Order: sequence, then structure tokens, then C-alpha cells
Amino acid sequence: MLGRLLIACHLFLLLLQPALAQEPAPLFNGNALLTNQQISLEDYRGKVVFVDFWASWCPPCVASLPAYDQMRSGIGTDAFEIIAINVDENTEDGLKFLKNHPVGYPVLADPEGEIGIPYGIRTLPRSFLLDREGRIVSSHKSFKPGDENKLRLEITSLIGGE
Amino acid sequence: MTRVSAGFLFLFVLNVGVQQPVFAATCGCAGVPLLTSIDTSANEKGQLFISYSAEDHQISDLVSGTNDVPDETGRDRSSLSQVISASYALTDRWSVSALVSYIEHRRTISSSFLGETKTSGFGDSVILARYTPLFITPFSSHELSVGLGARIPTGDDNFDAGNRFVTAEDMQPSTGALGKIIWSSYSYAFNQAATLQLNASANYVANEANDRDYAFGDEFNLALGISQSIGTRFGYSAALRYRTTQADTRFDFDIPNTGGKWVDFVPAIQYSVSDNLNIGLSGRIPVARDLKGTLQFTTSYSMSLSLTYAFNGD
Repeated sequence: MLGRLLIACHLFLLLLQPALAQEPAPLFNGNALLTNQQISLEDYRGKVVFVDFWASWCPPCVASLPAYDQMRSGIGTDAFEIIAINVDENTEDGLKFLKNHPVGYPVLADPEGEIGIPYGIRTLPRSFLLDREGRIVSSHKSFKPGDENKLRLEITSLIGGE
Repeated sequence: MTRVSAGFLFLFVLNVGVQQPVFAATCGCAGVPLLTSIDTSANEKGQLFISYSAEDHQISDLVSGTNDVPDETGRDRSSLSQVISASYALTDRWSVSALVSYIEHRRTISSSFLGETKTSGFGDSVILARYTPLFITPFSSHELSVGLGARIPTGDDNFDAGNRFVTAEDMQPSTGALGKIIWSSYSYAFNQAATLQLNASANYVANEANDRDYAFGDEFNLALGISQSIGTRFGYSAALRYRTTQADTRFDFDIPNTGGKWVDFVPAIQYSVSDNLNIGLSGRIPVARDLKGTLQFTTSYSMSLSLTYAFNGD
């Protein structure tokens, strides 16, 4: 009985979350790890953006990178972009991983949490889907193979629905 | 008189029931964090843990002060405690936990005409509110939690085991009295992934008297240990736990041969069966004790098994 009550409470709170998720994403900027290109989230206003926090020591994170890269290629970058945030405390570790496993989207370094803390990052991987106005539409924890397919549907729906 | 029931039961309840598995790693490799750390919990908003735990507690060591004494009574005393608990994170900093317990006590004295005494029933319940001002993240190595709660006498404390005598207090499934809890824990992550952590905890329980004016002694627990995740599925922890209790009282008079100090070694392992389910096994092995009075029966060892299911938040 107690268990059912708690599950019901939990489901009720989950139902509330989409309404709570429509918040403006914290803005950030920095230089891309591989290209040193200046990146600002504001520059992507008008596109659907997927912000992905990861680290080289996190197995599901490193599994997600090629999957997201492939997903991005499939969707195209006219109305969509991925910005990855590497949080390795030693940025060299993230850079070394990227050199061996390059991705097509920009990756910023955030060893001190200047980007991650405003996003409330506590565990990795953690990602956020932003609409064209820069509002957080949904957030995602962890990664399993196949998750990118569900995400692709969400992104194409968001692109097509606007 | 033995002094075994409420304190050790509460200790089990506090460790296994209320304290939910810690976020052993900042990598969310699985939905259920790997390690049941000593007394640490850091739920994320919207996360819900449901746990079932069972502990077999053998209480047949006879001790005088710090010395083991041969037991010539052929006494065998044990308790089986089953706990169902739930913990819900209202926000990233506030969480509430609650549990209910079912207790079975057994006592056999081969040299006595009483033979075996067995009692069972619902035991105490616990509710605890926790505030976590600091938590371990990829950007922070420290976690601190404090909490206030109560142990509520929801069970049977007037068990008579089929005869007209009320069974001894330590054989009752419930204490029959309220206990006020002050709780705190601290963890330090040695690496960014937080796979290796130092854990410390302290708590104090102030016990009130039941309707027979019997009060279990107030108790203080202090634990220090380490926990480590190995890969994405396994984890272990090891801790030393110091516990001290005051003597039990009836009508405010101390009960002889109750209260004392204990140091236990508490090892634990956990395996994550799936992203949301893990299984844990832990034990408690006495290292040292200094007990009040001339003779006390106390813990020989205990083992517990736990299953935890996580409903993750956003």
C-alpha cells in the first residue's frame, strides 16, 4: 500500500516535469577543444540544440559520443546542432580521447564547472535538449545504445513542429 | 537481562533501511548507484528508492566488561529483521525516508525448562528528513547531509508468547516508545568519478520510555570507512563503527547489565543487476566491546541482504 502510494506520488511529480522543464537554458561560451573556435550558445539561437555533458572516464559517455555524432549526421545541421561539454578535470584527458575518437560537433572544456554548475550537473552523462528559442525542452540522464533513436524522434519532432 | 533488541535493530534499520545507496560514482553508469555506503545518501530531485532488507542477527556472545565469558547455559539468541523502506528526493537538497519493519526474535536456553521463546510482529517505523547542503558532483568532492527524524513505535510491544507473562523488553518486536533521531553524514571523493570515497557518519538517538516505563538507553553511533566502485556493476565498502549506549532504565532506575561500548567491522558488497536494481550483502563483526555490568549477551555477528530498486527522476 505504502509502495503504491509512493509510486503514485512519483508519477504525479514526473507529470509535472515537462511544465517545469521549459526554462531558458543557461548561456555559455568558450573555445572548442579541437579547433579552438569560439563557441557561444547564443549563436545557435534559431536552431534546436542538444547540450551534452561528458567525461573521458565515464563509460556510457564515451559510448554516446559516436552515437550522437551519427544521429547528427542523419538529421543534418541546418536546424540542429550538438554542443558537447567535456568536464574532465584534466582537459588533456578529454582532448586525448577526442583525438582518438573525433566527432563533428563542437566540444568545449569545462573542468571547473563554470558551465556545468548552472546546469545542475551531478552525474554523467547528462544532456539537455533546447528548442529554437533556447529553452530547455527535456533533459536526459545516462545513456544506453538505442537512446539516440528516441532522441532523434524528439529532435525531428521539435524541428518539424516549429 | 540482555541488552540487544532495540539498539541493534535500530542500527540495522538506520544503516540499511533509511540510508539509501550512495551515489558511489558521479558517472551515472546505472540507475541504481552501486554502493550502500555507510550513512550517506544524495538523491537527485524526483528520485525514489524502494528497498527490502533482511538481517540475521546472532546475539549469543556472553561478555563481562571487555572479556568473553564461556556460556554454560546453552543459550542461543537471534533476531531476524525485515525492513521495507522508501526514500524520495523532494528537491536536490531535501529528501524524506520512511520505513516499516517486521521482527522475529528467538531465544533458546537448553538448560532451562523454558526451552525456546519466539516472538514476532511488526516492529518500529522510522521517518527521517534530510538536508544536503553539499553533494559530490564532477566539480565537487564533498558531500554533507544532516537530518532529523523519529523512530515511531508502530509495532507490538506487549507480546506474551502464549503465556500470561509479558515477554522481556529485548524480545518485543517494537520498543513501544518514541525515539528522537539526529543524523549526519559526510563523504569525500578521492577522484572526479567518485569511485573511491571516504565516508563518515554520526547519529544520536534519544529514547523515551514505553507504557511500562521502560526506556532503552540513548545511543550514539559513529562510523568511518571507505567505499569503492569497481567497473559499472560491482562495489564494496568497509567501515569501522563505534557505538555507545547508556543503560536502559525502568522508572528512571538503571537496569543492570545494559549499555556499553562496541566497535564493529562492517564490510559490504553490492552488485548492480540492472540499471535500476541492485543487490547488497553486508555483515557486522565485533572488533571490541566494553559492556556495563557483570554479564551481557551481545552480538556474535550479523549478516544482511538488501534489494534496492530506483525510480529515477527527470
